[in-house]
Amino acid sequence: MKKTPERIEALAAEFVLGSLRGAARRRFEQWMMESARVRREVWFWEEKLGALAEDVPENQPPASVWKNIERRLWGAQEQPTQAEVRGIGRWFWPSWSLLATAAVLVLAVVMVQQPRPAGEQLSGAIVQANLEDPLWLVSESGAENLLKLRSIAASEAEAGKDYELWVVPEDGQPLSLGVIPAGGVHRVRLSDEAREALSRSRTLAISLEPAGGSPTGAPTGPILHVTKLYSL
Amino acid sequence: MAQTDADQDQLMRLLMKIAQQDRRAFQELYEHIAARMFGLCLRLSGQRELAEEALQDAFIQIWHRAGEYHSDRGAPLSWMMTIARYRTLDLIRARKARQAVSDEDLNELDDGREGPLEFSVRESGAEKLTGCLDELSDVQRDSILLSYYRGFTHEELAQALSSPIGTVKSWIRRGLMALKRCLEQ
Repeated sequence: MKKTPERIEALAAEFVLGSLRGAARRRFEQWMMESARVRREVWFWEEKLGALAEDVPENQPPASVWKNIERRLWGAQEQPTQAEVRGIGRWFWPSWSLLATAAVLVLAVVMVQQPRPAGEQLSGAIVQANLEDPLWLVSESGAENLLKLRSIAASEAEAGKDYELWVVPEDGQPLSLGVIPAGGVHRVRLSDEAREALSRSRTLAISLEPAGGSPTGAPTGPILHVTKLYSL
Repeated sequence: MAQTDADQDQLMRLLMKIAQQDRRAFQELYEHIAARMFGLCLRLSGQRELAEEALQDAFIQIWHRAGEYHSDRGAPLSWMMTIARYRTLDLIRARKARQAVSDEDLNELDDGREGPLEFSVRESGAEKLTGCLDELSDVQRDSILLSYYRGFTHEELAQALSSPIGTVKSWIRRGLMALKRCLEQ
């Protein structure tokens, strides 16, 4: 289906309202990842219809909700002063200040949190807030364990540097998928470990590394992009 | 309750701290908005247990996604409420938790909630939206509000409003487009 302005307008409104369901909803989520115009239309409605939420009376949730949030995020230790941070935080968040300084504001477009039905393929886009087009489109072809990156608006890394692609697992250190070029179509074969981790976390990251890739096996440069894939 | 700019500035500062893994800021945010958010989850689902789970999930998403917020996405509170609303709708769908709708549900549900059309949208800070809603036909406005506050599907709306699905769909579509034209004026 073509993305005509009229269709974008009508579907975005129904997406936000919630009346767009099933396959049509999933197709529209794909549109959101592909097009900044579609995202802006969705945000328009999220803000406008969001005003309706202001009318709903407050209701104090039971204390168990906050306890469960703490437990799910940080396990047994509940002291907010503890510096230890799990998983992605260990390496991603220290880089946040670098990111902010460099004003490379990245946005991961769509997060779908439902469990992934068997046989579905992951896809997504790596986007940058100030660019209309995505940098790369990512898609998975499950049968061969291949991940395909199609370059759209990505530009070359600075001299002496390369982009390196990572799977960010739910826990533990990121797994390298190697250096990726800025142009053309690039295919990466996933190891069973990488595929398993990606299937669970659905999260990819790109870091800027010395030419040839990280010398240590873990990201050493700034994390430029983090994106969440979703299943088709 | 209308959000003042000062409230939104404070929420923005908290989000920035949360993006840097500040747990105290996260707790402060929770204390600030949890009751409002829970009210919305509860109204949408009509089930405390589901609403509690949606609230938990929403805050966990906010913890992980605080760095993604930017001003194009609307005010910070509206961004966070949207996360909670989508999560609640997901859970409702995932569990097929909706009970069959009957005409009585429109005004009084057996869980004691008010009907969606009984509480006034006129008292809100959203005068512009409210004014535009007033310009819609009754059926258009009711369809939109029932979808928004109750997460009704087209099928449920058709049943609740005793009308064919095609008619309900066109009420929603035309109502939303009329709303947009009005909001853009």
